[in-house]
Amino acid sequence: MRFIVLVAAALVIGGASLAAHHSAIQFDFTNSKPVTGVVKKFIAINPHMQLVLHVKDEKGERDIEFEGHSTNNMYRAGYRDNMIKVGDTITVYIAPLKDGGDGGYVTAAQTANGTRFGLRSRAELEQERLKAEGKK
Amino acid sequence: MQRPFRAATSMAAAALALLLLGSTDARGQQPDFTGVWTTYNESGQAPGGGRGGGPPLPMTDVAKQKVAKYQALVQPTGDTPGGFCLGTGMPGSMLGSGGYPMEIVQRPEQIMIVYEAHNEVRRVYLGDRIVPEGDRLPGRNGHSSGRWEGNMLVVETSHLVEQVDQRYAHSDKAKIVERYHLEKGPKAQTVLVAEMTMTDPVFYTAPVTTVKKWEKVPNGHLLPYECAEETWIKHLEQLENKAAGKK
Repeated sequence: MRFIVLVAAALVIGGASLAAHHSAIQFDFTNSKPVTGVVKKFIAINPHMQLVLHVKDEKGERDIEFEGHSTNNMYRAGYRDNMIKVGDTITVYIAPLKDGGDGGYVTAAQTANGTRFGLRSRAELEQERLKAEGKK
Repeated sequence: MQRPFRAATSMAAAALALLLLGSTDARGQQPDFTGVWTTYNESGQAPGGGRGGGPPLPMTDVAKQKVAKYQALVQPTGDTPGGFCLGTGMPGSMLGSGGYPMEIVQRPEQIMIVYEAHNEVRRVYLGDRIVPEGDRLPGRNGHSSGRWEGNMLVVETSHLVEQVDQRYAHSDKAKIVERYHLEKGPKAQTVLVAEMTMTDPVFYTAPVTTVKKWEKVPNGHLLPYECAEETWIKHLEQLENKAAGKK
């Protein structure tokens, strides 16, 4: 498992921005949530990875669009070409939308063969800290 | 016999220092900064090289008003230049450029610095390559001219445009001096230290200084960063949908 911490570096462009190309103000980076689904579309691109998952959960069956860290930062956090293909069942770890809607910002992923790559979110780091201190 | 011994000792010490601090250029006089560098985080320092935050800057009232006006515009949406595929500009570019690595290609007459984020490029001209004052165009990274002071590379940057969209806001009168030298980290890493001083009589009441440190990435490579590709792909999808009669 390759899983490294690049949180601040990955989230800062231009002094205070979370990501290039648009604001990431709509995402809640204090939370982390896993979402499992079948890949319908995946583009490894900068400044954001683009992903559509077909998801079945308590809300029903539907396609959900996600975006994520830049391909370059994901590469340095373990991503390699063809790790994710259309038809694969994967789990992504997202900073959810603040309004509770479908979608979110992918910070890490577990591929079809179990390989995990990505960046620890602030929420995950906090969860790890609490666990280490025996508070959770 | 003491003098020859001292001279030999000094020469040996100088040679050892060069070995410790990395390779030298073809003339064997200056250090060679060529290579890929990533932000060096000293023990106890937050990842990202200590960007953002920091003590308040000694801004003039004029600068404070301009920055406040800009912040009021963008804070509700979180918009940034990077959000529009625009590079950070100096001095933000040399202070980390989003935490992405940079590559330096050094020649005696010109040093190229490529920051991976947004493929932002700076050219530092030396000697006869320095562009005459009257032939320089202003820009977000300005015009940079360099000179060597022993093992220290001194880079002076002028012809900047006013920028309120970065941590170190500045006017078009700003001048930036960077002083680069090599050190060894505690794990014997090669560390490039950049001491930055910005003077700007319009925006600051005193010089602004900070230090950025980079760590050499052995056999490192920059990755491609085509920031506008996402916009182009989405535009093509919209055209395809329109052609197919979809909304």
